[in-house]
Amino acid sequence: MVHFTGLDYFWVIVYILLTIGTGILFYRLGKRSGSDFFLAGRGLPWWLPATSNFATHTATDTPMWFSGFVYKAGLYGIWGSLFAGWCAISAWVSTRIFRRSLAGTQAEWQTIRFGGLPGELMRGWIAGWQVVFNMLCAGWVGIAMGNVCQWAFGWPPWWGLVLFSVICCVYAMTSGYWGVIIADVQQGITMFLVCILVSIWAVMAVGSPGAIVDKIQAMGHAEMLNPFRTTGFATGDYPLLWLITMIAVPFLGGFGMATHFDWFVEAQRIQSAATVKAAAYSIWWGAAAIIVRNSIWAVAVLAFFVIHPEITKESEYQLAWFRMGFEYFPSGLVGFFFAGILAIHFSTISGILNLGSMYATRDLYHHYINPGATERQVIWVGRFMTVVVMLGSFFFGLMIGENVTRWLFFTLWLMIAGTWLPNILQVIWWRFNGWAYLSSWIANLGICWLVVWVLPAYGLMPQLKDFQQFWLLMALVACVYIPVTFLTRPDDMERLVKMYVQTRPIGFWGPVRREAERRGLLTRVLEIELRAERESRKE
Amino acid sequence: MAWIKRSWTPHEADEWTKEDWIAIVLSPLSFILITFGLAMSLFLLPAGFVMLLIGIVVTVIMFWVIDPKLDVLSEDYERKQRAYLEELERIQRWEEEK
Repeated sequence: MVHFTGLDYFWVIVYILLTIGTGILFYRLGKRSGSDFFLAGRGLPWWLPATSNFATHTATDTPMWFSGFVYKAGLYGIWGSLFAGWCAISAWVSTRIFRRSLAGTQAEWQTIRFGGLPGELMRGWIAGWQVVFNMLCAGWVGIAMGNVCQWAFGWPPWWGLVLFSVICCVYAMTSGYWGVIIADVQQGITMFLVCILVSIWAVMAVGSPGAIVDKIQAMGHAEMLNPFRTTGFATGDYPLLWLITMIAVPFLGGFGMATHFDWFVEAQRIQSAATVKAAAYSIWWGAAAIIVRNSIWAVAVLAFFVIHPEITKESEYQLAWFRMGFEYFPSGLVGFFFAGILAIHFSTISGILNLGSMYATRDLYHHYINPGATERQVIWVGRFMTVVVMLGSFFFGLMIGENVTRWLFFTLWLMIAGTWLPNILQVIWWRFNGWAYLSSWIANLGICWLVVWVLPAYGLMPQLKDFQQFWLLMALVACVYIPVTFLTRPDDMERLVKMYVQTRPIGFWGPVRREAERRGLLTRVLEIELRAERESRKE
Repeated sequence: MAWIKRSWTPHEADEWTKEDWIAIVLSPLSFILITFGLAMSLFLLPAGFVMLLIGIVVTVIMFWVIDPKLDVLSEDYERKQRAYLEELERIQRWEEEK
């Protein structure tokens, strides 16, 4: 049990007041329009969404599974946390394309990319599914906080889940994305500072960085300091195929919207950036902060390993980073550490609540239920849906309980595996149509349950390792959408040309480009540009 | 480095060129080198310092290559954005067309 002094309580109370105060401060900006409530008016400088990107992707469960990876496998475990790698290529490719589409959400992108009946079906499906998925996300992050508070203070898990989600809901509901993004900045700075402090204290607890290395080597675990080891192509504890999967999936995914577990969140940040360049920089630098954070965390986790090498239970060593802070920070600083945990928690929950509300409001309510809605109505529905998403998260959080990592992995496979390639194809290949994309989603949902849970449970197929599941799911789902692509007609050329001229996607768009050139659209754009350039030179 | 284009017209910047591909290749390399270079440097492992240094150099080169193109591309797009936003609103409020 952790005991707080007066100074510790001071840090926590001040931090909560600061966070709620942010909501009240930006109330007037948030209520200006639907665009302000969900995208901060599309006018942010790059560093604001970049900080928000970093803060939102540092959730309460993140140090848990990161600690799990690194405690078990040393620096090699960092590969497991390289999801943010998709931003490396996306910043220069899919971020640019998506920003130019101006689609507020991934669901809205469907009506721009595909159009017609499949486009509308996909928009409705993605919007509905995102509302539920954001409830699930907020639930599992929320219950992770509940589990931390149970370990630290002996609270029942639902206390931590409900109390801190309600605080987030207050400012997310009051000022929408304005409140979320501004709070993310102070939360991002706070959590980065706390990450550095925990690692400093962890090093001091062992003696020095060299002492951590010496002790790991003395224990006979020198391999933990080598992040590039392998034990064969698909065998042993460190198979090369796992490493290839961990590199290929996120990095190549950046060509499209492939690691869309993160993409949905980033889509909102991309569109809130003032310019295409600001969007690209926000994605690159936000992800850069994430990878730097991972390296800093690794120090604390390996120091914990040196101090407590005997732990075999995953649920215990997953708390490595939290324990280093709670057990080694001096009295008075523990409260600051807990404020850092609150920053980590608030930034993710508030972002998720606003995002879930955005899909419910912009894509379901505004597009399907009330297309003529006024800005005021949109904002009020946005506020109402923020509360609904929070209430849904309580249901999922209590259902998940202690199995945070298990749910995380299943959700990742559920979301990424079968639709990973289709999410790239929709950006790089003109012929990949709306029906093919829809069929990939439906097939993925059915097949992933079979491969991950049902067939192994009945002994009809072996329980595969995670990376094997990924490639199998990708191949099986491809057997559905590739025939569908060629058995159905291409998307309407009118729409494709329009979309091509606006977003200028990368890849195989030859027939569409030729049609755009034939219609003089690209030439006309060139003429307008040359005229504008001449005028600006004259000035 | 004449091989790298540093001056762009908006029309040229709209096309996918070798400068984009240079950024696409260098960017993941930069992420991997910085991640493991920093982690190993924090443990004072010599290989870590080398990786981190290379990672920083790669990052600087990447931005040097892509930044001028992004500047022009971005500025040009902002001029057209208003019309595109109006089109987006038209899709959103489709019922008003009836």
